[in-house]
Amino acid sequence: MLPELLLGTDAGGFLIIRDSASYSGRHLLKSFINAALNREEYVHVLGFEGSEEELRDGLKGSPTQRLHFHNAFTDPLGWTDHPAFTVYQFNFEELTHLVKQTSHPKPAILIIDSLSWILRHVSPPAVCKTLQQLKKGGAVRAIIGLLHADMHQRGTVGSVCHLASSIITVAPGMKGDEAVAKITKRSKSGKVIQDEEIFNIKEDFTVTVQSKLSHIGPKQPDPEEKEMDPTANLTFNLRLSDTEREAKGKLALPFVFSKEKKTALLHSGPGSGRILYEPDANDDYDQEDPDDDLDV
Amino acid sequence: MYTELNSILSTTPDSFTQGEFILVSDRQSDASFLIHHFLSFYLRARCKVCFLGLVQSFSHYNAVSQRLGVSLAQAKEKGQLIFLEGLTESLSVLSQETNSGSQAMDFLRDPTVGLRRLYEFIRSSVSSSGGGEDGAEEWGPPVLLVDDVSVLLSLGVSAEAVLDFSHYCRATVCSQLQGNTVMLVRCDGEEVVDDGDDEGSERLLKGLTHQCSLTLHVQGLPTGYCRDIHGQVEVCWRRRQGDGQNTQKKLFQYKVHDKGASFFARGTSSAVL
Repeated sequence: MLPELLLGTDAGGFLIIRDSASYSGRHLLKSFINAALNREEYVHVLGFEGSEEELRDGLKGSPTQRLHFHNAFTDPLGWTDHPAFTVYQFNFEELTHLVKQTSHPKPAILIIDSLSWILRHVSPPAVCKTLQQLKKGGAVRAIIGLLHADMHQRGTVGSVCHLASSIITVAPGMKGDEAVAKITKRSKSGKVIQDEEIFNIKEDFTVTVQSKLSHIGPKQPDPEEKEMDPTANLTFNLRLSDTEREAKGKLALPFVFSKEKKTALLHSGPGSGRILYEPDANDDYDQEDPDDDLDV
Repeated sequence: MYTELNSILSTTPDSFTQGEFILVSDRQSDASFLIHHFLSFYLRARCKVCFLGLVQSFSHYNAVSQRLGVSLAQAKEKGQLIFLEGLTESLSVLSQETNSGSQAMDFLRDPTVGLRRLYEFIRSSVSSSGGGEDGAEEWGPPVLLVDDVSVLLSLGVSAEAVLDFSHYCRATVCSQLQGNTVMLVRCDGEEVVDDGDDEGSERLLKGLTHQCSLTLHVQGLPTGYCRDIHGQVEVCWRRRQGDGQNTQKKLFQYKVHDKGASFFARGTSSAVL
């Protein structure tokens, strides 16, 4: 499902890449930027966690003339005199103004790197409100945000993720450069699709999906499988014919002590040994009188 | 400076990656030997070094560096090293009413104001490298070393404020001036399963891990104390490297000697083989 998401987020879509300290989701975010640029989209990046040089350095092979970087990295809190964009400006009006500064023939895609930086300084309800307004606002076609899930309380992560139409949770894979992506996609009809894929990102930010881990969700039962008789191709017989049943009834089981067996055992043939037994005093053992001194 | 660690990180004082944010962390162990390594490394690399020594006195760092073959006092005289001695600075803030000294440690009076003053002190000291007096030596890219940021938490600064501070340091030193930053953070307790509500040093460690480009995490041996192996260090490159690898992890065991440290692959200590 990852390649489909890279192909294009629907209008009004909001995609969140969730990562943790063990695996950075920024490479995947760059893949999304790269894919959008190659689709001839207009991309606005709100960068809190990396400089413009860093971003452009990684995207050397792509057409970056439609990439607009808004520098919130060098001074996000207004500690110096001339901040370009501070975290307190993260609201609907400012962002719409920012995106509309450059005129485009079509709505742009807004990349937020990262939501965690904003959530550390702006209250979660205000962030959610801004995101919701941006989704409905029309100035941006889609929003893609990076979220460090281990930096926030579970409730905060949950409420932001509820707004998203797609969530990609990335985690390190088993082998060196592999990673695992858990994808939850909510389509407009309300259907929720979940998937888990192993992927790796090449140097030019193309994503290749190695394999699908599992299909979570209701699996469609195979119609042919229902009809099939599980006893069809057995190497043994489950049912008995009449003659077989008769033969089975005649068979003497080994624990049944028949007359022939008894005589065969008792009257052994000539030449075989016999046991002669003469009882002596020790055989007359009385448990109630072990010393044999009671006059009973 | 430990040459074995240099070969692990594939750096030398003559050629090292610029713009790196190195996070040194430890858990129930002591990673300060790595701070001494980086201090002597960058002094040998002729970088302009700004050192925030919040844990020990200057004479302590000087004594250790002397053993590693670098004189801090000389470097300070030449203007290569700017040393903020947290212990004496904080004492002067607390004892004197007047603002006589630097305002870097102003957060001690009111921890809620954040570390803006401390950042401004760093910015002014690292960016003054170009405009020196006549005859002053030219120094290389600026380097910021902090030993250690967890002390700021104990002084009443919130983890959020420390993360803001480190962000500004990274933006200025690593990104703008193409220098390097090394920060030490210490965690005491056991590693906890992440549930997002952890406090203080754990949160700081996670936040800094998200910011940094290289982590060196020092731990004790999981099997307990050993005389010949002092612990293990996990090296993790988080940025995309030239060879195209995403994140790379390597684990080494180490032993700290009197005048250096040796690093070896797991199970290849001289005591084992």
